[in-house]
Amino acid sequence: MQPHDHHLCTRRQILAGAAAGFGMLALRAMAGVPLHRRARAKNIIFCFMDGGPSHVDTFDPKPMLKKFEGKAIGSGAVSKRSQSNAGRVWFGSPWEFKQRGQSGLWVSELFPHIAQVADKLCVVRSMVGELPLHGQQNLLLHTGRILGQAPSIGSWVSYGLGTENHNLPGYVVLNNDWVPNGGLENFGSSFLPASHQATMVRAKGVPVDNIAPHDEAVIQRRKLALLAQQDVEFAAGASDAQIIEGAIANYETAFRMQSAVPGIADIADEPEHIRRLYGVDSTDEHQRFYATQALRARRLVEAGVRFVEITCPSFDGNNSPWDQHGQIRQNHAKNARITDQSVAALISDLDQRGLLDETILLWAGEMGRTPHTPKISESCGRDHHVNGYSIFMAGGGFKGGMAFGETDDFGNSVASDPVDIHDIHATLLHQMGVDHEKLVFRHGGRDQRLTDVHGRVLRELTA
Amino acid sequence: MKSFATMACLLTASVMGAEDIFVSKVEPLLKQRCFECHSHERKIKGGLALDSKSGWEKGGESGPAIVPGKPEASLLMQALSHAEKDVKMPPKKMLPASEIVVFAEWIRAGAPDPRVSEVKNSQDLAAGDTWDVEFHKRLDWWSLKPMRKVEPPKVDDVAWSKEPVDRFVRAALAAAKLQPAASAEPGVLRRRLAFVLTGLPPSSASASLSDEAYVDMLLQSPRFGEHFARHWMDVVRYTDTYGYEWDNPAKGAYEYRDYLIRAFNDDISFAQFLREQIAGDLLPRPRINTDSQTNESLIGPMFYHLGEHRHGSSLMFNGIHQEMVNNKIDAFSKAFLATTVACARCHDHKLEAVSQHDYYALAAVFTTPRWTSRVIDAPNKNDVAIAKLKDLRAAIRAEMAVAWKKPFEAAFLKQWAETHSVALKGVGAPLATPDQFTQKAAEWRKARVDAQNANAIFKPLADAAKAQLPHGWVMEGDGMKHGFAEAGTPLIALEGDGVIARLLPRGWHTHALSSKLPGALRMPSEHLIPGRFVSLDLAGGEFGGQLVVDDHAFQNETITFYTNTPSEWKTFADAELKNGVQQVTVEFATSSLNPNFPPRTGLAKGLKNDDFGYDKRSWLSVCGIVSHDKAGTPQDEQDAFAGLYDAAGSPDFWQRIAAWFNSAVARWCDGKTQPGDQPVLDWLLTSGLLPNKAEPGSRLATLVAEYRSVEAGIEFPRTVNSMDQRETAQASYPLNVRGNVDVIGTLVQPGFLKMLDPRARVTDRLALAESLLDPEHPLTARVYVNRVWQWLFGTGLVATPDDFGRLGDKPSHPELLDWLAREFIHEGWSTKKLVRRLVLSQTFRQSGLVTDAARERDPENRLLHHYATRRLEAEAIRDSLLAISGRLDSQLYGRPVLPFRSVEDGAKRLFSGPLDGHGRRSIYLQMSIMDPPKFLVGFNLPDLKLPAGRRDVTNVPSQALIMLNDPFVNEMAKCWAAGLLKDKDVNREDRVRQMFGQALARAPDAAELKRWIDALQDFGGDTPDAWERLAHALFNTKEFLYYR
Repeated sequence: MQPHDHHLCTRRQILAGAAAGFGMLALRAMAGVPLHRRARAKNIIFCFMDGGPSHVDTFDPKPMLKKFEGKAIGSGAVSKRSQSNAGRVWFGSPWEFKQRGQSGLWVSELFPHIAQVADKLCVVRSMVGELPLHGQQNLLLHTGRILGQAPSIGSWVSYGLGTENHNLPGYVVLNNDWVPNGGLENFGSSFLPASHQATMVRAKGVPVDNIAPHDEAVIQRRKLALLAQQDVEFAAGASDAQIIEGAIANYETAFRMQSAVPGIADIADEPEHIRRLYGVDSTDEHQRFYATQALRARRLVEAGVRFVEITCPSFDGNNSPWDQHGQIRQNHAKNARITDQSVAALISDLDQRGLLDETILLWAGEMGRTPHTPKISESCGRDHHVNGYSIFMAGGGFKGGMAFGETDDFGNSVASDPVDIHDIHATLLHQMGVDHEKLVFRHGGRDQRLTDVHGRVLRELTA
Repeated sequence: MKSFATMACLLTASVMGAEDIFVSKVEPLLKQRCFECHSHERKIKGGLALDSKSGWEKGGESGPAIVPGKPEASLLMQALSHAEKDVKMPPKKMLPASEIVVFAEWIRAGAPDPRVSEVKNSQDLAAGDTWDVEFHKRLDWWSLKPMRKVEPPKVDDVAWSKEPVDRFVRAALAAAKLQPAASAEPGVLRRRLAFVLTGLPPSSASASLSDEAYVDMLLQSPRFGEHFARHWMDVVRYTDTYGYEWDNPAKGAYEYRDYLIRAFNDDISFAQFLREQIAGDLLPRPRINTDSQTNESLIGPMFYHLGEHRHGSSLMFNGIHQEMVNNKIDAFSKAFLATTVACARCHDHKLEAVSQHDYYALAAVFTTPRWTSRVIDAPNKNDVAIAKLKDLRAAIRAEMAVAWKKPFEAAFLKQWAETHSVALKGVGAPLATPDQFTQKAAEWRKARVDAQNANAIFKPLADAAKAQLPHGWVMEGDGMKHGFAEAGTPLIALEGDGVIARLLPRGWHTHALSSKLPGALRMPSEHLIPGRFVSLDLAGGEFGGQLVVDDHAFQNETITFYTNTPSEWKTFADAELKNGVQQVTVEFATSSLNPNFPPRTGLAKGLKNDDFGYDKRSWLSVCGIVSHDKAGTPQDEQDAFAGLYDAAGSPDFWQRIAAWFNSAVARWCDGKTQPGDQPVLDWLLTSGLLPNKAEPGSRLATLVAEYRSVEAGIEFPRTVNSMDQRETAQASYPLNVRGNVDVIGTLVQPGFLKMLDPRARVTDRLALAESLLDPEHPLTARVYVNRVWQWLFGTGLVATPDDFGRLGDKPSHPELLDWLAREFIHEGWSTKKLVRRLVLSQTFRQSGLVTDAARERDPENRLLHHYATRRLEAEAIRDSLLAISGRLDSQLYGRPVLPFRSVEDGAKRLFSGPLDGHGRRSIYLQMSIMDPPKFLVGFNLPDLKLPAGRRDVTNVPSQALIMLNDPFVNEMAKCWAAGLLKDKDVNREDRVRQMFGQALARAPDAAELKRWIDALQDFGGDTPDAWERLAHALFNTKEFLYYR
């Protein structure tokens, strides 16, 4: 063992010598990104409800839909922002709404667990998107542009705030073997440095690609020691030693990540009552995956990861999990069963640990669903709708038990206080202590922003 | 910097930020809250109109409504605040505070209002004096000026005075008082040459060659074409799939990839290469490759199809078409012109001499042709087989005519009818109903007259007598070309006991000779066909079918696969042209010529998810084309029964029937089949009344066997998504005002960028290609030469290869660039000659050593005082692992190999391939937009949706994790070690030397040898495991991953 340690030691010393180079680079990279104000929150957990949960079946009760069920919506209700035509008919919610908690916030019976933490929720009912299409809306939600080709919000947060844990990435996506429409670009760093792209952690099997060491520790350390000596000589003969030294340093980080990442991902040491709270031992495979990811999300946030995103599992041939053009009764219920308990558990668990104040939980799909349908039937569904839909935030300084904005009596268009994704992005960054107009990266001859040229901080939502 | 130039478009957004806020926030509010009473469309209450800037500037009866910059002084704000009793707006209910804030902030920002008044709006936005002035100013830019004619400067340095390129470089260094680096060590240079020219490590066999001979050897190696094709694939955003939600296969993309490999290996001139990609379908003399029996030119336009294709059409969702056109214009203008034309989609370019009009003129050029599948087999590839099949069919028919000569007896038919219940389909089907003859005859007559009367409204478009398509309709593929059949033509059975499968009706049948033959019928835009409706009599199977295409383009999902053997009439009504769509066409195609086959999983019933649609039999029949103004389809005029009811004949029913059949059969045997005979004959055949078996050993049996054998020898067609501009009407493309797809401006005629085509000579793609190949063109050669320079040196003379405009870099050696571009043209646009010149230059030979002075004065190495150390490209890393471990399969070309995936998604056809991709080079791995090969992505495979002239080279921990733990890397180490250990007579030191030689192309020094032997000892001594670990460690050295 002695010689191995000796080699590593030598290598560290060499690296320390070279560190000035990296340090300077890192400093330069960070220099343009000061904290802009006192931060309320430190982390974000984004529960991405991919496919578009129906707003009129969850957080936006519309009794008129029942009253007029089966009646044609008429040409006045047709909009480019939803899949609509005059002949479609209103479709009342199959689920009952109730006022919940102290606040009396309306939550439907689709979400019995989330209903119990209603007083923590800051619901926005007046979200407006650009196109009623998954790919475009997903990219808008993640990158602020329907065409993408820009960094994900997680990458911006990672870039803007840096990491508190150098063994873990700043942006983690806990996925469930399903890539949302719009592709991996939703989680990409685009023109930001590649270190800010999302690291994907899978629910099933090995959580992160290549994270499990191929070699036993002693062998791997010996390899690294050998490489240290060999590489330093090569660096000396390269035209730019810094690049090679950077590559060498990456082996150090990679070595540490091998134990740090699985450590976080392994939830075996969580006590029984916590496991039960999240539903980790559910008999439903999909709920088990989601619960595992939710619990990992909390652990990642505790470990200092800035932005954690959880995607939904896709359980049938749907285009995306919440995309119920048909069979909404059956499959919205199934989606709710998979996610409801874990999302509620995250909120209450974070709260009990005193972490909810500094963690924003964002629950959002890329769209809502039409309050109308082509024809009422047992198997009917709802289609794409971005003309007024609901999302919620919890924690991180957002007011609880409130609903902001209104849709019309049918949930078909925004009646007051339209909010777009840029406004949400601006407000999230604001709560993280970052001015969305100042978090910029020079690219293509211009200071690029997450919010492009848009965004308004919604002060009405925050305490 | 992958989307560097794309982002330039967004620059304009910052300039116009406040305006955009107007468009996104203020204008909608105005429309929603104010227009009811204050717009020209509704009312203008109080004299105030808010639908134009001049409206609020002038104001109403109370004066100007807005004072820009001063919300507190603006009447509008007063009214909105409901502060004054007299002017409360809107009168009934005050707006929510959040909306009032929007107005206040907008006014404070100066109330920018980009709306132009109605009168001005109708004019072309690109016209106008200011743009003209600006345009001429912008022409003053280095890359638009003629290439200079320069002599290489004189230099004293002997080693640097032979090659003109070196003289330019050396002179510039001297001017900066910098010295070039000395030549790299031979081993270092060899490794560099091998990677730069082939993307693979050097083999030891070539050590004795001179540098020139070594370079020539590499240039002759097929690995050169593979490596350079991959470079070009970055430039054109190569993909094997169309991405977006379903990641459908991009038909024939791999044929284009193979075409690139052949083009680079054969050193096809860049002029031809460009011509083919832009207009390969229009070349009067296409380039036929006699080895591969391929029409190479026709593959070129696949270039346009690459990139992401969102499904659906602009008729369903406005904007889909426009988004994709934007990607095509972006790719074309960056690849060949290094110009960011796509920025001019919404407005005249903010920096370049490119107008919005230019953008839409180019869109019109690109949407004139059909974006569809073409057969790329050499035109006469199947001629011999087809002629044989035709002869054999005729011979078989002649044999059958003998066999069928024996007439039916009335008694036999009577008896047969008693035991068979099948009747010939049609009105008055008579068999077994002798007592109803008179009634049936009357029914038939009435039906016939009714049908004839009803059919008067249908105007036949195809001349049935001449086998001619209507004007403007085009066909594709041997299946159509050789598929016209007279009524009663036998369809030879390809298997089983029967000789004839069926007797075909008159019409086009792609499978008349073989269902392997491809066929397509493409009609003009519906609105160009006379009549409101066009109806076709169609049949098809095995994924033969139709697709409706608007504006000739992209992935419309309106595909129908036919499953009917007797033909049926289908009607196509003129579609409503909306959302700027100018034309709607329909294509009828076998699966191989359907550009969207296979469609998303689930849409082709019976097609398995893992079936990529290769090598499928498929067929389609077109038996009639009519146009009409009233709805409906032609009715059967019951010709089949004319011989029964119309002809004078025996009073005996069965005699009459026999005569009917016998005369039809006799006519067939004499080759004089009449209308109406075919259904009768086909019915007789399929009912088993006509003999249909060949006696073993008979001449007929021989003929059938031969037919089947010739048919079996026909290869499945090779088809590629390309262009088909035959008979298409020239498109015009509606300008989208401010890029807004909902605001349609003037229709723009096809044309090119005014800055490059001032006399507006370009109206189609062929003229476009030829204009780019003018030897004095300021961009074409410069842009390409610069790309080649970058591929060899890592950085171009212009560091931004896709942008020679104002946001791009300026050339480090402008005169060298021009000299090289001219020389390149002079040498016949030969890539290999250019490459050879550059890699044999002293500039290229330099070592990576940098002096302090050089680092100080030119840290970016723009003056080329050394050769910068480069990391291997993703493909080179993977290919080197395969090569060194002995696992590399050197097979060229072929269908994409599925990459290894830890998770599969059948609905997206994302299946996993073997861990080592069968040892194939990385260029052959399936480039799926949705899930590209993970290993390559880890090392900066570029975003597949966008042109990427230059790759990122990132340096992140996940790369270390890949090299340490990825099962592929470890598997390769294992294979390598196992291979090394086969030779048992090698001592440990020599084996380490051998490994260094293979992986690093050099021998270890004494200290290194000791270091690695020590490590071997710690890894477990002289055991297979220890050698595997050592091999794996060597793969992880930076020296392996980089070259100097």
